[in-house]
Amino acid sequence: MAAVQDGQMELDAEKETKPEVLSDGTSNLSGSTASGTPLTAGGAPTQEDQQTLIAVLQFLKRNKLSDSVEILRREAGLGDQEDSQTLEGSGGGKGDGGGGDANSLLSRVSIPSAAAPQNTPTPATVKRADEQLDVSVVLSAYSQQGDPSLYQVYYSGLKNFIESVLDCHRAELSQLFYPLFVHMYLELVYNNHESKAKAFFEKFGGDQECYYQDDLRILCGLTKKEHLKGNEALLDFRTSRFVLRISRDSYQLLKRHLQERHNNQIWNIIQEHLYIDIFDGMPRSKSQIDSLSGSFAGEARREVNKVKVFHGLLKEPEIEVPLDDEDDEAENEEGKPKKKKTKKDSVGSKSKKQDPNAPQQNRIPLPELKDSDKLDKVMYMKECTKRIRLNPENLPSICFYSFLNAYQGLTAVDFTDDSSLLAGGFADSTVRVWSVTPKKLRKVKSATELNLIDKESDDVLERIMDEKTASELKILYGHGGPVYGLSFSPDRNYLLSSSEDGTVRLWSLQTFTCLVGYKGHNYPVWDTHFSPFGYYFVSGGHDRVARLWATDHYQPLRIFAGHLADVTCTRFHPNSNYVATGSTDRTIRLWDVLNGNCVRIFTGHKGPIHSLAFSPNGKFLASGSTDGRVLLWDIGHGLMIGELKGHTDTIYALKFSRDGEILASGSMDNTVRLWDSIKAFDDVETDDFTAATGHVPLPDNSQELLLGTYHSKSTPVTHLHFTRRNLLLAAGAYTSQ
Amino acid sequence: MASPKTVPKDAQVMMQILKDMGITEYEPRVINQMLEFTYRYVTTIIEDAKIYSTHAKKSNVDADDVRLAIQCRVDQSFTSPPPRDFLLDIARQKNQTPLPLIKPYTGPRLPPDRYCLTTPNYRLKSLQKKVSSSAGRITVPRLSVGAVSSRPSTPTLGTPSVQTVGTKVGTPVSLTGQRFTVQIPSSQAASVKSATPTTPTVQNVLINPSLIGSKNILITTNMVSQNSSSDSSSLKRKHEDEDDYDAL
Repeated sequence: MAAVQDGQMELDAEKETKPEVLSDGTSNLSGSTASGTPLTAGGAPTQEDQQTLIAVLQFLKRNKLSDSVEILRREAGLGDQEDSQTLEGSGGGKGDGGGGDANSLLSRVSIPSAAAPQNTPTPATVKRADEQLDVSVVLSAYSQQGDPSLYQVYYSGLKNFIESVLDCHRAELSQLFYPLFVHMYLELVYNNHESKAKAFFEKFGGDQECYYQDDLRILCGLTKKEHLKGNEALLDFRTSRFVLRISRDSYQLLKRHLQERHNNQIWNIIQEHLYIDIFDGMPRSKSQIDSLSGSFAGEARREVNKVKVFHGLLKEPEIEVPLDDEDDEAENEEGKPKKKKTKKDSVGSKSKKQDPNAPQQNRIPLPELKDSDKLDKVMYMKECTKRIRLNPENLPSICFYSFLNAYQGLTAVDFTDDSSLLAGGFADSTVRVWSVTPKKLRKVKSATELNLIDKESDDVLERIMDEKTASELKILYGHGGPVYGLSFSPDRNYLLSSSEDGTVRLWSLQTFTCLVGYKGHNYPVWDTHFSPFGYYFVSGGHDRVARLWATDHYQPLRIFAGHLADVTCTRFHPNSNYVATGSTDRTIRLWDVLNGNCVRIFTGHKGPIHSLAFSPNGKFLASGSTDGRVLLWDIGHGLMIGELKGHTDTIYALKFSRDGEILASGSMDNTVRLWDSIKAFDDVETDDFTAATGHVPLPDNSQELLLGTYHSKSTPVTHLHFTRRNLLLAAGAYTSQ
Repeated sequence: MASPKTVPKDAQVMMQILKDMGITEYEPRVINQMLEFTYRYVTTIIEDAKIYSTHAKKSNVDADDVRLAIQCRVDQSFTSPPPRDFLLDIARQKNQTPLPLIKPYTGPRLPPDRYCLTTPNYRLKSLQKKVSSSAGRITVPRLSVGAVSSRPSTPTLGTPSVQTVGTKVGTPVSLTGQRFTVQIPSSQAASVKSATPTTPTVQNVLINPSLIGSKNILITTNMVSQNSSSDSSSLKRKHEDEDDYDAL
C-alpha cells in the first residue's frame, strides 16, 4: 500500500510537469530513437511518454478519478482506443502491442522475477495490480528523466556559457562541471541508457579536474544499473548533496542563464543533487578552490563548521611533585612549589581561571587517577624537565627502528608514551611486542605462585613477575586477519589491536594474553586509538563508521556515522572530548564524544587520509593523505590554515613534538620531513571577517617551513613518535627493492 | 613479467584490466589470483543456474536462471556494509543514551565475563570408575606445557597457572578429536590448585589454546591415589567409555 501512496504523490507532481515533458517530447521527436516494440498510435509523444501516460491513466481509472482521466486524456491527445488496446494486448498473451508495452514496462523496472506475466493470460485486474506497483516505480525513475540524447547538448551548452563569463567567475562556476557530469552520467546509467552513458563519458570525462581522475576511472567501469547496487559509496553520492561554495555574484549569473535558457534538466539536477552555499564576498580564485575541493561530497557547508568546539586542554590534576631533595618539599594547596629552585614545568596548571575554550572537567566521565597513575605523572614531569627545546636551529635527532625480515607484512606500529615498549602488527595476524629498553618483558606469575610471595614487601611489583618468562619479544596470537591498527593504553597495561577480521582485541601487557574481543564492525577495522586518559577507545573501519567503546562495555557507546566511505584513521583530541576521523572520502570529521555529533568537516585532500595528529595544545590538527600533502587545520574556526607540500607519496605518519614546535611527517617515499609548526600557525591570523567566508588565503610557504628531509635507504616510514625528551623515533619495515 | 606471446589470452585480459584501472605496479601472482577468482565465480554461478533451470524443468539454462543465481550468491559472498540511512538511524539511537558513569576503584575495567576471553573454554571431567584400570588407558606423557601461553584459569585473578607436566619434550601433541589422559605425579598434584574444590581428583590442566583443533577434547587426569567423590553434579561424569566429549 505504501507504494500506492508514493505513486499518488508523485503523480500529483508529475501532472504539473507532464505538459512540459510532452512539449519537450514533441520538439525532440527527431532526436529520439525508436525502441523495439512498435507504437500502436504513432502520435506525437515518444514511446516512453506514451507508456507513462497509459500507466498514469490506468492508475487514475483504478482510483476512479474520472475527471482527472478526462483532462489528462484530452491534454495528452490519447483516445480511448489506446487503453483498450493495451488491455486486449495483455489478454491475448504474447503480443507486441500493449502486452509488449506492459512487458517492457515491467522489464525496465527490472523486477527480477523469472515468471513473466506474458506467459499466462492475465486477467485485467491482475495486470492492473502489477501496473499499479510498476507505475510508482516507473514514475520515480522518470521523475528526473529528460531525453537522454539531450544530456550532451545540455552539458556542452553549460560549458560554453561558463567559458564565456568573466575570468573571476569562471573558476567558481567551473566547480559545477564535476558534480553535474557525475550525476548526469549516473542518471543515464540508472535508466539503462548504456550506450548513451558511454558516449557522454567519453566526450566529457577528460575535461574534469585531475584530482577527480581516480573517481572517474571507477565510474567508467560502471555501465549498468546492477553495478550500482553493490557500490555503497556511489549510492551515497547519489543521495547526498554535493556542496559547492559560490559567491553571490557568480550565482546570480548562473541562475539567470539557466532560467532564461529553459535548460530545466540542469536546473533540476542542481536543485535536487547540489547544495550551493552562497557567500558574500570576492569570488575565489582557482587555487583557493582547488585547495578545498577534492572530496566526494564537495566542500563543507559553512554552518556545519560553526559549532563551538572546546579545543582547550583539561586542567592537569594537582599532584605533589617530590623534588630531588626531599626535605625541601613544601608546597601550598594549589600545588605550586614555593621554592624558586623547583622547576617550572610547562604542563603544570598555571592559572586557576578556566580556559574558555576548554571543556568542563566532568563533561564526559573520565576515570579517576589511581596511585600508579599518579606515580606515572610524577615520572612524566621529571622527564619534562630534561626535555630538549626544539626550534629551527635545534632539530631533534631521529632514531629509526627498522623491522627486518618482515616480508612486507608490517601493517601497524605503536610506541608507549614513555617509549619503553614497541608493538608491531603484521599481515600474518600476529602482534609482536618488543621492549625498547634493556629491561625485558615478563609475565605475571601464576596464581599459585602469587599466593606464595610476600605481599607486604616493597618490591612486590617485581616479585609478581615471573623471571622464567623474561624475553625481549612477546608474540600475541588471536586475530584472524592482518592487524591494521595498534594502540597502547596510557598506563601501559593494555594494548589494543584492530584487524581485518572485524574485531578489536584488548591484550593485557602483564600476562600477554588476550582479554576481550570487541565485535561490532563486521568489516575490516582500519584503525584504533586509546583515549589519552585510558578507558575509552575509538575504532574506525570499512563500514564507514567510527565507534567509541569503553573497555568495560562489550558494545560501543557511540557510533559516529556520516562518512561516505571507509574510515581509515581515528584519533582522540588531547582533552578526550573529541574524536577526529579521516576517511577514504577525503574528508576529516571531528566528532563530539558527548553526543556523537559531527562538529567539523574539513575538505581539501585529494586522496584517502591515512594519518592525523593533534597539536599538543589542542588547537590544531594536521592530516596527511595519499596525495603527499600535509594540511593544517584550525579547529576553533574550522578553516584550513596551512598546506605543506614536499612528500611524493602517501604520508602514513604524523607527529607533533612534545611542545608543538616541530611537526614530523613520514611517508612511503622513505623520508622523514620536519616542518616548523610554530611559524605555520603564527602566519595565519584568522579573524571573524575572513572566517565568515569559509576560507583563508594560504601563503605558499612550504619551502620555508621545511626544516629538514631525512632519507632512509629503502624503508618507508610507518610510524613516528617523540619521546618525552623530544627525541624522534621512527619505525618502518625494510623492503629490499 | 612474462612476455606477451607466451602469456595465455585470459592472463592478457587480466593485464589489460589492471592497466585500464590505472594499476601499474603489481606482483605477478595477482594475475593468477584474478584468474582463479574469475574461474571459481563463473563456474559457481553457472552451476547454480543449472540447478535452478532443472528445478524449473527447463531444457536450457537461460538468462533468468543466471540472474537468479547471481542474486542469490551476492548476498552470501559479496556483502556490502549497511546503507547510510540505516547507519545514521542506529547512530542516532545509540548516541542518545548518555555516557555511563565510571565506577571508581574497580580494578581492571573489563566487560562481564561472558564477553571476555578470560574464562577457560573447556570443562573437565573427573574420573571415578577408572581408578583401577589406569594402566590400560592411553596415556600421553609427552605434553609440552613449556609452549603454553596460558590463559587465566579464574576470571577474578586474571593470572595464569602454568604447570609443568611430566617430561618436557618439545613436540606439541595434536589434540584434535582424541581423548587422552595426562599423568600427573601425585606429589605435584597435591600442590596444584584445583578448579573444582569439591573433587580433589579433578586437576586443572591448561593447554595452549592454539593447539586445540576441534572442541572435542576431553581431558581427564589420573591420580595415582584417588578418592573419588562422585557427588559433584556440576560436571557430567557419566558413561566415560562413550564419546561424550564436552563441547563448549
